[in-house]
Amino acid sequence: MRKQLQEQIARLRDAGALYVDARWYPIEETNELLMWNGNLKEATASRESGVGIRVLYKGAWGFSAASDVGNLAALFDTALDNARVAAERVTFPVRLAEKDAIQATFASPNRTDPFTVPLADKLAFLQAMDEKLNQPGVSQRICALTFIRKQIVLMDSEGSEIEKTIIEVFPSLEVMGLDAQGMMHSRKFNPTRMGDTRGWETLDMDVFSANAERIVREMNEVLVAEDCPKDVRSVILLPGIMYLQTHETIGHALELDRILGYELSYAGGSFVRLSDFGTLRYGSEKLTARADATIPNSPGSFGYDDDGIPTQDNLLIDRGLLVGAITGRQMVEEANARAGRRIFDGSSGANRATAFYRVPIERMTNINIDPGDDGTLDDIVRNTERGIILDGDKSWSIGSNREQFHFATDIGWLVEDGQVTQVVKNSTYQGETIPFYNSLSAVGDESTWEVCYVPNCGKGQPNQIMQLGHGVPICRFDHVRIGE
Amino acid sequence: MKDRILETLRDLRAYALAKGVETAFLYHEEDSYLMRFANSAISLNTNEHLVRLQITAYQGRQRASYEMITALDKLDEMQEGVDIAAEMVQHAQPLSYDPTIPVYAESFSDESGHDPALATFGNPERLAFFNQAVAGLETDEIQLSGIFSCGANTIAQINTRSEQTQYFKTSDAQISIVLSHTALKWEVIAEQSAQQTADLDPDGLRRDLAFLLERYQQDAPQQIPLGAYDIVFGPAALGDLLSMMGYVGYNGGAMKRGYSFLREDQVGQRVFSPRFTLTDDPTRRETFPFRRDLMGMPRRPFPIFVDGVFQGFIWSQDDADEFDAQPTGHTVPHTSMVMQGSDVTASSLQELVAMERDHDVLYIPFLHYMNVVNPSKGLVTGSSRFGALLLKRDGAVVVPYNVRLTQSLLDIFGDRLAWVSQAQVVANTSMSYGARNPRAIIVPALMQVNGLEISHSNPSY
Ligand SMILES: [Zn+2]
Repeated sequence: MRKQLQEQIARLRDAGALYVDARWYPIEETNELLMWNGNLKEATASRESGVGIRVLYKGAWGFSAASDVGNLAALFDTALDNARVAAERVTFPVRLAEKDAIQATFASPNRTDPFTVPLADKLAFLQAMDEKLNQPGVSQRICALTFIRKQIVLMDSEGSEIEKTIIEVFPSLEVMGLDAQGMMHSRKFNPTRMGDTRGWETLDMDVFSANAERIVREMNEVLVAEDCPKDVRSVILLPGIMYLQTHETIGHALELDRILGYELSYAGGSFVRLSDFGTLRYGSEKLTARADATIPNSPGSFGYDDDGIPTQDNLLIDRGLLVGAITGRQMVEEANARAGRRIFDGSSGANRATAFYRVPIERMTNINIDPGDDGTLDDIVRNTERGIILDGDKSWSIGSNREQFHFATDIGWLVEDGQVTQVVKNSTYQGETIPFYNSLSAVGDESTWEVCYVPNCGKGQPNQIMQLGHGVPICRFDHVRIGE
Repeated sequence: MKDRILETLRDLRAYALAKGVETAFLYHEEDSYLMRFANSAISLNTNEHLVRLQITAYQGRQRASYEMITALDKLDEMQEGVDIAAEMVQHAQPLSYDPTIPVYAESFSDESGHDPALATFGNPERLAFFNQAVAGLETDEIQLSGIFSCGANTIAQINTRSEQTQYFKTSDAQISIVLSHTALKWEVIAEQSAQQTADLDPDGLRRDLAFLLERYQQDAPQQIPLGAYDIVFGPAALGDLLSMMGYVGYNGGAMKRGYSFLREDQVGQRVFSPRFTLTDDPTRRETFPFRRDLMGMPRRPFPIFVDGVFQGFIWSQDDADEFDAQPTGHTVPHTSMVMQGSDVTASSLQELVAMERDHDVLYIPFLHYMNVVNPSKGLVTGSSRFGALLLKRDGAVVVPYNVRLTQSLLDIFGDRLAWVSQAQVVANTSMSYGARNPRAIIVPALMQVNGLEISHSNPSY
């Protein structure tokens, strides 16, 4: 197969293509198990294989993909034909940033491949969790396990050949209950990074049992709690919501394709302009954010992106100042040319596709906030006059340029004069991105820093789902509207 | 091709019967084309041909599925899938209820929604369509984005309970055209949904875009004050609000799981405005309908709200099995929702702007990134996008920066609902996550709701 792909790539180069690559997935497997109130609602395994071809011709892209690889020549021709038509409407001819030709392999770290674990063992885990969650006050209990294993071979016309084997494990627990007014409330446990590997071994029964008990207890506290007040307060975001705040208003806002207007017909743009790099005060001095695809054991660490660029650790926001973006080979060239200055020094290695039948686009890696020096949660609470601690992603809605947002959380704890006073339900907060990050007044230390996983970030047309991570500490923001 | 697909399914059925495995097969084939535009160029031109097979094995109350992307000539691979599903189901814990396996009393085939000309609309035609729809509207500063997505979708089914088959084939197109100002950052949109080539109307899109552009080029955008507004929703916004209602409203399974603002004791009661009538109507070809559901149940117009009175929940087979309810023919990849029009003749933004008014009216064509804040209250939030306009009482038109609404569906479709247009339009609500599944909602062209608070107003884009 590799030889055939090489031959086709060379043939299209000879036919005038500027660049050609093939992503061949010998196999991608998933296994999804969902137990709802003890009923195994979903026990699904899947398998797919196929190849996606990307061709650059006269400054325009063409793409084609098929699961049936019986006629590779026709598939490559279709991609070239698609590029030829696209070349009829070019405003900025696509150029690709320089890269080295790389021959390499990458495998995500795991000790026990979940696809070698018998189904019976996986179901026993779900059943044990379901029993743990089956407690007074709980009307709905949901236990889910998702496993992904994919093998990707990337070959391109510049001499790269990279093979990746990626294994992902995404478990989750959730309980729901009804309060006295019949209103539904929920609490979730989506485990953060544990250890240096991400195979079956991450499903530590003790950790899950303890957290199952915790979410049941906290949900029952919410069921009898008063409503979150409509107020303006400091919000203290635990990693279980800080990760999503970071994702939506730093991550998506700093994808270079969004900044350059390539997502305007669907996902949206960004309030960030090219002139903002090096000048925009994105947040307070306490805010340092980075795209770090090198941390071990995260779906945002994948060795090489689908342009064949090695993963990197890049600063995005340096003590409040905007300095970087999430980039691939195409976008950095266009951004530098449009800006008339060299903002980006090559691709940051963040171009990824969700499947063989989708084209790579700028995707988040691990978009992290550096830990600060404001101590633990207790330290931050002690130094907060009127605040609310928030956790759990219940709802999120963000303006199309990521300029403003509204979040609802599973739970809130009011803080008065440095003390936690009571739990509240229906907690929400909203704000504008730049004023919000400039109100960042406390950042927890290393002990509060956790890597949260995102299994389902959506973007692009045709639509694509991507897996990634966020390493975030506990953060406090001041003067935030809550309870609306 | 149809014969070959059904023959393959019969072979698989025979294989499963020989193995003694109770099995249901669902075959899905898509031929998808998408031309994407950004910065006035074609940023992506793609096509994918994918064949998916879902194999569900049953053993009493045990159920397990195996799905594959495969090719029609790979019978061995598909048979291996049957073996895997058969192995999986041995280990699946029994459900607390008996899952129904479909028995098709007769074979059913529906290709009436398939227009080969639309399904294979070529690259040059797609480009020509876009060029016509934006002719003369682009400048160095006003740039084109958008998609022309089209394709064909085939679903075929068989199972071990009966020899009969079901076969559905449709064609569809979804067109979005966005014009945006590179420096000022405003964006306007026009959209179209097509089931056949005759539905395509590039000149109609151009007319809508030209009208919005004229407004946006005349007036500088402003931050509008917070407070209550009389809001007119356009088709895309209305389609999205109704989609939300599908998640947290009339779905029986969601209600039983506490994820709905409707209760069983509200059936037969007035929940919404008398102006609100919503029907799942599979006779409307524009919705890419299923006239049988995947269980083989014939689907006919199913009223959900009539003059604001709640008629009843919809039930998929699996939810009906679990909660001891009667299935309503709603085991379908998508429904065919139709909101009835009423008596106001204005059926376009142009006519809305021309209407006499004694209050200011905020026109919101599109709600971006809507999400459910509180399902029990029907509370949703989202932001305006793509060409909102504040139509002043004195006839002036103001271009507002985007605003956020956080409102209950009970209020939006309740007594604050002031009027709806007589004329209906099609809002294409398709997504392309996973298998192709074209869907559309038929909505009145405009709907006005009085006194809705906006909870946030942007100072810029
Ligand atoms: Zn995302």
